[in-house]
Amino acid sequence: MRIEMKKIRKSFGSNHVLKDVSFSLKGGEICALLGENGAGKSTLMNILGGVLQMDHGSILIDGKQVEFATPAHSQDAGIAFIHQELNLINDLPIYENMFLGRELKTKRGTLDLEKMYQETKEMFTKMNVDLNPNKLVRELDASYKQIIEICRAMMTNASIIIMDEPTTSLTDQEIERVFAMMRTLKEHNVGIIFISHKLNEVMEICNRYLVLRDGNLVSEGSVSEVNTNDLARFMVGHDVRTESLIREKKLGNEILRVEGLTSGHIFRDINFSVRAGEIVGFTGLLGDGRSELFQSIFGADQISSGKIFLNGKVVKITSTTKAIKEGIAYLPRNRKENAIIKDMNIIENASIVTWPTFSKRGTINTKKHQEIFEKHRKALQLKMGDLSDSITSLSGGNQQKVVLAKWLAANPKLLILDNPTQGVDVGAKEDIYDIILKLAEENIAVVVLSSEANEIIRVCDRAIVMYHGTIQGEVAGENMNEHSIMSLATGGDLSEGEVS
Amino acid sequence: MKPDIDQTTIKNKKDFFGWFKYKWSNDPLFSIAIALIIMIILQTLVLGFDYDSFGGWFQSWINNWINILRNNAGTAIVALGMTFVIMTGGIDLAVGSTLVVTGAFSMMLLDTGTKGFLAMMGISGAPAFIITILLVLLAGYLLGSLIGVSITKGNVPPFIATLGAMMIFRSVTQHFMQGYNPTVPVEFLQIASFKIGNYMIMPIVYWAVIAYILYYVSKRTTFGRHIIAVGSNERAAKLSGINVEKVKLRVYALMGLLVSIAAIIQVSRIGSMDFSNAGRGMEMDAIAAAVVGGTNMMGGRGFILGTVYGMLIIAVMNNLLNLFGVPPFLREAFKGVIVIAAVLLQKKEKTS
Repeated sequence: MRIEMKKIRKSFGSNHVLKDVSFSLKGGEICALLGENGAGKSTLMNILGGVLQMDHGSILIDGKQVEFATPAHSQDAGIAFIHQELNLINDLPIYENMFLGRELKTKRGTLDLEKMYQETKEMFTKMNVDLNPNKLVRELDASYKQIIEICRAMMTNASIIIMDEPTTSLTDQEIERVFAMMRTLKEHNVGIIFISHKLNEVMEICNRYLVLRDGNLVSEGSVSEVNTNDLARFMVGHDVRTESLIREKKLGNEILRVEGLTSGHIFRDINFSVRAGEIVGFTGLLGDGRSELFQSIFGADQISSGKIFLNGKVVKITSTTKAIKEGIAYLPRNRKENAIIKDMNIIENASIVTWPTFSKRGTINTKKHQEIFEKHRKALQLKMGDLSDSITSLSGGNQQKVVLAKWLAANPKLLILDNPTQGVDVGAKEDIYDIILKLAEENIAVVVLSSEANEIIRVCDRAIVMYHGTIQGEVAGENMNEHSIMSLATGGDLSEGEVS
Repeated sequence: MKPDIDQTTIKNKKDFFGWFKYKWSNDPLFSIAIALIIMIILQTLVLGFDYDSFGGWFQSWINNWINILRNNAGTAIVALGMTFVIMTGGIDLAVGSTLVVTGAFSMMLLDTGTKGFLAMMGISGAPAFIITILLVLLAGYLLGSLIGVSITKGNVPPFIATLGAMMIFRSVTQHFMQGYNPTVPVEFLQIASFKIGNYMIMPIVYWAVIAYILYYVSKRTTFGRHIIAVGSNERAAKLSGINVEKVKLRVYALMGLLVSIAAIIQVSRIGSMDFSNAGRGMEMDAIAAAVVGGTNMMGGRGFILGTVYGMLIIAVMNNLLNLFGVPPFLREAFKGVIVIAAVLLQKKEKTS
């Protein structure tokens, strides 16, 4: 099957999101769709998926013009769209999820569980998936959920699969599992459109690429002819730094020290310290407990034993309110679930932390918050409309900057950033790195949590690697490289050298 | 959906239809206000316009309105608190029973007979009234807090916690008030029936003042905005340093306090209370007013002003049904239709 999109044009009001974009894809190809947030990738794919209607242009399948007025039309034509938020029901077994919305029925009108189970099993054998269809989806890790979605698409005889950032929340091992799946799909002559911000992955798995910038198709071709620097340049329109951001360090007093911190089996016996002006990275694979560790330090979750010292004094942090009073800021991972309040506008999301600080008898000092935000907005290079626009009107990168601004407003002494560049485009990523370095220069102790080793290497002075809830090791300077970090993160140690 | 404070970007302000269209799709309260105005016009038409004696007609129009507002003031005050509760993602089914408890408590305090608490201590007149009011408000606040504690500390879902409280409060009150008929001093009735000019509008004044205060609280205070944050995204609120439990606790305590105000108004209007029937269905009327006023049952979105509109729409509709002579048993059905229609209308707004 061959799909063509010709001269696609789409506007939202006066905002021209797509300007005559054309491309084609045939079975057996894996094509990367690249671009910064707001470049028009999602819009283009939503048009192909029947979610949005184009203003102008045409879609052709095997040379015949088609109309996708609803997602169902697109699905019927053999196009499957796997969204970033997976549409699986956690409390149903895998095989029932596979037939969600098109359940097989017996003659009496009851569910034909036996047949659904059998067909799922056959599909798994065909796709080399080693899973028991009886398992509840809840018990699966993120990569298998992704794989279930792909198998479900295959069940509907999809010949084109759109994957929207499938690897964002996956560990390296899990990513490998999804890639293996994608290679199997390729063998079955399925065409894949792969949306990702991770250029290394694009180089590894894709054979073609498309780059959108400001609604224009700026570059396309074969992946074998380019490198990651080229792709990054196409996306932002200018050169991107990739080297480690070296800086002069002048470390101050110890801000945070943690001794024997334990919370059940989630993390155990954690000891480390962070000094003013220092940037310490925490990394590891999924399930290493680093997010839980820092959410506990921030007072959002309980600890069962251990001590936390701030500025040399023991503190008991019983709530997030207390943590903020002590000068701790925590930018959480998964912005949508943990940081964005969608019923509030931009300025409210950017000032919520400091409302109590500046309020007089409970009344919010709107003016003061606007002043503070205006200051940070420039430093953060935040692109936005009106202060009273909804937070959801911003792109992912700009939403993240708003969340960062709310913490900067609190003047923290210790800033914990958990996956600060998650779902953020290349340009905004650089802005955020710059801000992190600037904050360290201003003598703030910064902790960066990230699953991406190269991000840690770029911004951090040293990296602490966790494995299954304990600190596996620490690397700094020349020892801090992807190889050493991966070795520790998979439970090895530095002397072993080889990653098992 | 844009926030309702965004007034600056109105396009085509001069063009009435442009303005109307903009407001219709961007201001969540606009369609509710339009619905209210239409109903008021309809009601005025039904009342009939008397060309011969405008003064007399106007007088009866005013009197009709004062009756409507006064009869609904108690429930309207409760509905304001309910808006906050629903905005946190919760619900309070216990308001009617809390009304009965606090009402009974106020009557026990005020009783001029031998069993009256304050009378036994020799306190009467204005001091007794002041003490009664303070103690009843405190009682309402504490009962609300009790519900709040079971929800926040005990992790009981709001629906269950308040369902339980609803049964407990009324049943206990009915048991202990059996065969006891407290006499409320006539002077106490002035609280609701004091006349300004020639009008008995004190309950309406209380409603208006409380509505204004809560409107300010919801728009301009830390507490008010924290309610939205908690209802919209509880985890994000917690990770922003908001004490989620405290916000919820205060919302239920405020609810209890408002119910006790409604109880004082009710007792001071008629001097007695029917403990088995007073406040029955009040929770549903309050929820209906909030929902018609644009409050999202899932939390995060709600408008104090909307709830005032919602209450008025339901009240005017009741009045209309009365004027039309619709049989009493059918009136609930119309209320049901209005509630569902309001939510359907808001659904349409969201997707546009």
